[in-house]
Amino acid sequence: MITKTQVVVIGSGPGGYTAAFRAADLGKQVTLIERYDALGGVCLNVGCIPSKALLHTAQVINEAKEASHLGVTFNEPTIDIDGVRSNKENIVGKLTGGIKALAKARKVNVVKGYGKFISNNQIAIANSDEIIEFEQCIIAAGSRVTKIPDFPLDDPRVMDSTDALELADVPKRLLIVGGGIIGLEMATVYESLGSEITVVELSEQLIASADKDIVNPLFKHIKKRYANIFLNTKVASMEALDEGIKVKFEGKKAPEFDTFDKVLVSIGRSANGKLIDAEKAGVEVDDWGFIQVDKQMKTNVENIYAIGDIVGQPMLAHKAVHEAKVAAEVICGHKSGFDALTIPSVAYTDPEVAWAGKTEKELKAEGIDYEKGVFPWAASGRSLSIGRTEGVTKSLFDTKTGKILGMGICGTNAGELIAEATLAIEMGCDMSDIALTIHAHPTLSETTAFSVEMAEGTITDLLPPKKR
Amino acid sequence: MIDEICTMSAIKNIELPDIGDFDEVEVIEILVNIGDTIAADDSIITLESDKASMEIPTPQAGVVANINVSIGDKIKQGDVVIELENSEEDKKTPKPTAKKTNESKQLNTQIVAVNVPDIGDFDEVEVIEILTAVGDNVSEEDSIITLESDKASMEIPTPVSGKVTDINVKLGDKLSLGDLILNIETTGDSVSEKTTDTTPIAPAKPETAPLAVAPSPASKPTLDQSISTLPSSESHASPSIRKMAREIGVDLSRVTGTGQKGRILDIDLKGYVKQILTSGSGASLPKTPVIDFSKFGEVETVALSRINKLSGKHLSACWLNIPHVTQFDEVNIDQMEAFRQEQKNKGIKLTPLVFIMKAVIQALKKHPRLNASLDESEENLILKKYFNLGIAMDTPNGLVVPVIKNVEKKSLTELATELAETSAKARDGKLKPGDMQGAGFTISSLGGIGGTQFTPIVNSPEVAILGVSRAQTKPIWDGKNFIPTLTLPLALSYDHRVIDGAQGGRFMADLNSILSDIREILL
Repeated sequence: MITKTQVVVIGSGPGGYTAAFRAADLGKQVTLIERYDALGGVCLNVGCIPSKALLHTAQVINEAKEASHLGVTFNEPTIDIDGVRSNKENIVGKLTGGIKALAKARKVNVVKGYGKFISNNQIAIANSDEIIEFEQCIIAAGSRVTKIPDFPLDDPRVMDSTDALELADVPKRLLIVGGGIIGLEMATVYESLGSEITVVELSEQLIASADKDIVNPLFKHIKKRYANIFLNTKVASMEALDEGIKVKFEGKKAPEFDTFDKVLVSIGRSANGKLIDAEKAGVEVDDWGFIQVDKQMKTNVENIYAIGDIVGQPMLAHKAVHEAKVAAEVICGHKSGFDALTIPSVAYTDPEVAWAGKTEKELKAEGIDYEKGVFPWAASGRSLSIGRTEGVTKSLFDTKTGKILGMGICGTNAGELIAEATLAIEMGCDMSDIALTIHAHPTLSETTAFSVEMAEGTITDLLPPKKR
Repeated sequence: MIDEICTMSAIKNIELPDIGDFDEVEVIEILVNIGDTIAADDSIITLESDKASMEIPTPQAGVVANINVSIGDKIKQGDVVIELENSEEDKKTPKPTAKKTNESKQLNTQIVAVNVPDIGDFDEVEVIEILTAVGDNVSEEDSIITLESDKASMEIPTPVSGKVTDINVKLGDKLSLGDLILNIETTGDSVSEKTTDTTPIAPAKPETAPLAVAPSPASKPTLDQSISTLPSSESHASPSIRKMAREIGVDLSRVTGTGQKGRILDIDLKGYVKQILTSGSGASLPKTPVIDFSKFGEVETVALSRINKLSGKHLSACWLNIPHVTQFDEVNIDQMEAFRQEQKNKGIKLTPLVFIMKAVIQALKKHPRLNASLDESEENLILKKYFNLGIAMDTPNGLVVPVIKNVEKKSLTELATELAETSAKARDGKLKPGDMQGAGFTISSLGGIGGTQFTPIVNSPEVAILGVSRAQTKPIWDGKNFIPTLTLPLALSYDHRVIDGAQGGRFMADLNSILSDIREILL
């Protein structure tokens, strides 16, 4: 059975459904292929959204605990793990249901099944006789958890991020393999629910792509709360024993062996480029599963576009959404293009870590002359009043032009605060643009302006490093 | 250091002399090498303007110490062309004035030439601001001028500290890499440390002469840095402006921002597009198809001469901008020819052209609108009270139009002599720009070659041109008989915005009358 369509989108994650909806709104007849029952992809089902639901639960628990400092003491919480899980599932259900309704309202034909190319204008749906014949295609097939084959992955005690979000139970001792954003977010959740956390990270720093000084407040905060954080340490092997998962470490500070009740392996994600028979359409896929695209999201095949995780790092929903609109608009004849100057990154840990633009590491590597301003939140009235002192805001500027190059924030709500920096970068603000913008007092957003004033030398709430 | 100053005193900068009302004339040939001993009046370089090429002689003898220009440079009056080292005798007895100057200076002073540094892939960048004055004391890294390209403006810092002795640029000048901006007299200890880094005017190394920027190693990277922060993709424009630019296909790096801090606003973008739409007359012309002629037979590609290319551009502009009318006439020149032969027998050679010139002047006096130009606004006519004629001449390099001035004051023989001299100069490529300026009307004579008629193109900003073809003996009906008559075909092309058909016709009738009875030239 051949179904003809003008535009087909493979994958219904934030990129896929956005592309489908935008193309439909611009008058195209659209087919959206999704292998799972629920629309929304990793982000809605087993990523951003469920993790944030759980992180909110964690935040409430932690804040209640810390309330004793404020002179208010709550009893130890009773945790109904089923209730926590169902809250999360409710939220996910609402959102994916909403996507389904929106698809219907736009008359997007949703096809459930695993789509693979059979030519540059046909996709076959696995385990059915359905073939989608398309004029234009947008590949939004995303990424999957990277697995290490030597680990006993069949054992339910060895989890990936999807398993961890299932929240089957709260293990007593949990090992997180990989100190990146996903691992640390899940550590935050499980720690608040009562697990004793150990984090093992191969590199010398947690969240390796961010600047170390921005991650440091988080590191110091969780170091006290977690059993161990082993940096520069490798997991050599894992063995599933009755009493737990026996892990062999290779690192200076780690013991050679330790046994954990559960292990979360969160060492990254791999692009799905090689799982859709792209070569049958003539689409080039690199060794890592990524598909190369131009600024209009076009692949090497004229009528085939690709967006989201499958086209490269950073694997972030908000990047995919923007790319999706570009691809859909280009297909509909608009002169669209992806020319964003920056894609912000956020770790929803406690405290949060967020950055946009260039990091100091990148500026050094690229040999760009820069100036920086660092404002410690210990000097922020707002930060102190919410009982947190560990945060820091750092802004980076071009020495010659004073133009903002990047910003990094660690602290409560850093993920919200980074929006200002992102806009500033897109608008090409310089130091004084930000410093002369009045920020409400007392707010955490003030720390952005303060960090700029530190660079400018105009700060009064602290001693400026240099006066101007 | 002292040695250096002595050497400097023996060096003489040979500057480009007054070559007429010309700016930015291109160097097409360098006729000397470093180390050459040259005599006064030897040619040192060849320049080519849009009208002609000319050789520039040195006013004095010496040994070429440095060549400050390269082929392709555009230079103007006062620019240093070469540096000449005086002969040995001169060295031993330096001129008293020069010596005095040296003595009055600190021994450790030094003049450092500050040239345009590498500012990226830019040529001919306009000076929009001069930030220093002669006599100012400047510190290293102080900005001295602001240049503005179509992409960005940039301040050029001085690589050395010192006192500005002279400024070689003025507002509006277009500068390229290596052009001399100003000279700075450096003093004090800093100089002795820097001597190796800076380039004193005199003993500059020949290879690096055009680029003798002289920034110290410490300051050079910063200069480069300022460029590397101006990549074209990072124009100062918000996402919405970038989107608009993408949609209408504008490269933002070509748009100058007028918003705060040079931000590109939507009005800048729209203005840029409007400017392209209104200015791009040539761009909107339909293109002729590209054809591979070699598939029809053997072909050979020959480059157009520089004069071909330059005059081609000018002629296209004239042809496109001027609504042409051409009218024809034939003149009975029996009488003129008889007089001409008489003179020839006496040994005085007069070409028909000198008669035509005199007759044209006579006619122009009666019809001043043909000796005129439209002003910039195209709303006023500028009538010329002088009578200078452009004479189109064929040369091996292409068409040139030298100007014979004040024709009304010159006798036929004087004109004949001047024409002969001028055409010799034209053939040898020795015409100076001044020789080709100031015409009010042009004559193009193909009489010596042949043809019955042709339609000349008005040489803008003039408004009329006379084309002369070969005289022929024709049977002319006098009412009773066909009389063999020597007739001269004339074609008058004119700018119809200025001259209407009746006026053109009357001019032609008067010219005809004068030429057929050359006594009228005397009137």
